[in-house]
Amino acid sequence: MEFKLEAHRIVSISLGKIYNSRVQRGGIKLHKNLLVSLVLRSARQVYLSDPCPGLYLAGPSELAAGSPAGWGEPPAPAAAAGLETEPRPELSAAPDALRAGDAELATTVTCARDTLQGGEVAAGGAGDPAGGSDVFPEGPREARRYRGCPPGVEDQQGTPGASPPGDRSAEDGPPAPAPLCPRKRPAAGAGGWGRPAPGLTPVKKPRWDPEGPPSRAEEGEEEEMETGNVANLISIFGSSFSGLLRKSPRGGGEEAEGDERGPEAAEPGQIFCDKGVLRDMNPWSTAIEAF
Amino acid sequence: MGEDADARKINHGFLRDHGYVTEADVISTVEFNHTGELLATGDKGGRVVVFQREPESKNAPHSQGEYDVYSTFQSHEPEFDYLKSLEIEEKINKIKWLPQQNAAHSLLSTNDKTIKLWKITERDKRPEGYNLKDEEGKLKDLSTVTSLQVPVLKPMDLMVEVSPRRVFANGHTYHINSISVNSDCETYMSADDLRINLWHLAITDRSFNIVDIKPANMEDLTEVITASEFHPHHCNLFVYSSSKGSLRLCDMRAAALCDKHSKLFEEPEDPSNRSFFSEIISSVSDVKFSHSGRYMLTRDYLTVKVWDLNMEARPIETYQVHDYLRSKLCSLYENDCIFDKFECAWNGSDSVIMTGAYNNFFRMFDRNTKRDVTLEASRESSKPRAVLKPRRVCVGGKRRRDDISVDSLDFTRKILHTAWHPAENIIAIAATNNLYIFQDKVNSEMH
Repeated sequence: MEFKLEAHRIVSISLGKIYNSRVQRGGIKLHKNLLVSLVLRSARQVYLSDPCPGLYLAGPSELAAGSPAGWGEPPAPAAAAGLETEPRPELSAAPDALRAGDAELATTVTCARDTLQGGEVAAGGAGDPAGGSDVFPEGPREARRYRGCPPGVEDQQGTPGASPPGDRSAEDGPPAPAPLCPRKRPAAGAGGWGRPAPGLTPVKKPRWDPEGPPSRAEEGEEEEMETGNVANLISIFGSSFSGLLRKSPRGGGEEAEGDERGPEAAEPGQIFCDKGVLRDMNPWSTAIEAF
Repeated sequence: MGEDADARKINHGFLRDHGYVTEADVISTVEFNHTGELLATGDKGGRVVVFQREPESKNAPHSQGEYDVYSTFQSHEPEFDYLKSLEIEEKINKIKWLPQQNAAHSLLSTNDKTIKLWKITERDKRPEGYNLKDEEGKLKDLSTVTSLQVPVLKPMDLMVEVSPRRVFANGHTYHINSISVNSDCETYMSADDLRINLWHLAITDRSFNIVDIKPANMEDLTEVITASEFHPHHCNLFVYSSSKGSLRLCDMRAAALCDKHSKLFEEPEDPSNRSFFSEIISSVSDVKFSHSGRYMLTRDYLTVKVWDLNMEARPIETYQVHDYLRSKLCSLYENDCIFDKFECAWNGSDSVIMTGAYNNFFRMFDRNTKRDVTLEASRESSKPRAVLKPRRVCVGGKRRRDDISVDSLDFTRKILHTAWHPAENIIAIAATNNLYIFQDKVNSEMH
């Protein structure tokens, strides 16, 4: 249990760092934020694991990565290959429960990554990185609300169990029909949808012993615990991710192309302006692409 | 690690202390030029201060030349990127001297986005006796000119002039972390988190991208470039280090884009040391070729490692800088100290390596004798001409009188930037605001 507490604490600290990095002078430091996101991912995996950290070999991300072709994801890295064979029988069993339960922390890690990428432009785009609340429309699916929420981080950290003002959005989170780990935008690869959240894609994986994944029942219990504990995290970052999830694969496909063109055209410092794509994408994703 | 310090070996005298007091005066880089005559420091306020070693005095043959301020100039100013609404810090990240080719000295200084070439010249004569102008430069009344004279050069007080000769801008989307001048003296490279560009020193409007590790989808990003350097002798070779702890040696003859390394230097992780922070502490913060070109020195959070270019599997030597911090990584993560980027340095003969630590301690490791020492750069303990006393950090157990316990280390006083004179035993240590220059005493038979 101490692992969980420490992991939770590290998650909170990491989120605080990511938030602070958005308002610091000189722009987002890519290196530091990458390291923080790696720590966040490690802590998250411990957090979601059994009390015996060695048993739970891989988070739901690995399971998701090994899932059938509907995900359309390029094969998970070789390191995950060994793990995939084990989780696969479990997959059909409870993918949805797992994914939903993991959704919250995935959200967190996803947005950590997003901050990593888009923070520079985002911080600028809002015009007021510290409190962009004036910019944001009320639309619940507007991804831009994401920018407005971080000011809540500092409040939340001190009260992990408290019921934050954004509780409404927290409740929205788990029941969201999103079948996948929430993502800002669909995959660039073939199939559009099928990528697990970046924070969950294991490229450098913690070295857990493959002693087999826990049973479904345990996962169900895990899921309930996780929901309660990370509700405040969701409220911090908002429920806007479900809006991104609802993007059509086609839009994702366009975006993928834009992705190819965009970053290249975006250097040094220009924003790609394929108008057709811009119309379809929400401005937040536009900002990410430019970075 | 045992810290038996041979007091005779450590006859360093403390020579210079600059007392700056503001955040903008925090020194961010230190670099000797190729002869060691000049020492440049850059600070967070965008200023560069160049020190020059005074020639040895004939009156006191035993006192070697001291370093005095030679020139101070504002290299970079804060900028604002309007497109991205980002402020660009003026902090000088790195300074590299160009090899001297004429009477002038040139250096490259860089902040996060822009590299500048500065030329430092001396003027110690001025022409006098113009026919048409008077002493202040005003035109003379022609009727008062009755004879012609040839202007002559008269000595004047030495004036050091600095001028920006080139500005290499807009080459980098991400933050520049290192620059390195090629041994061909014509090109140099600049590295940011994801790309390395090759520039020609005379051409500012374009550069060649030679390494690009940016993934097609930024969400796949797993590692960034942390430092890079050209080989000291082979103008086609360079190395870059990554946040994952690996080094890649690249050969520019192999391809225009050196994404594919020629050699990959990586040490497998020790599974027993695995923690949440394993990735952070394995990130390489500095890489330096030895003067011989045969070895590379890397610094990660807890160790310095010497690599042989001929062996990729693991370093040939690993030295623990402050292993007692391994159990404190979580606290160091909280207070951000775990992200500190320490530099490392070789001495002129590649026999001793040096790096900084906390509490204004810095460490030296003798590769031949395997002895190491911890010294402190502080005003209290370093009067001019004083001999530095070796320090020791105790981790519990027996505590000697002057030991510092791990818990009383001051993590706000850290030595990130150090430099070693290319030939002599003179070291420059930047301790936050202060620059310390230590010299070995003349009694070289003591080594």
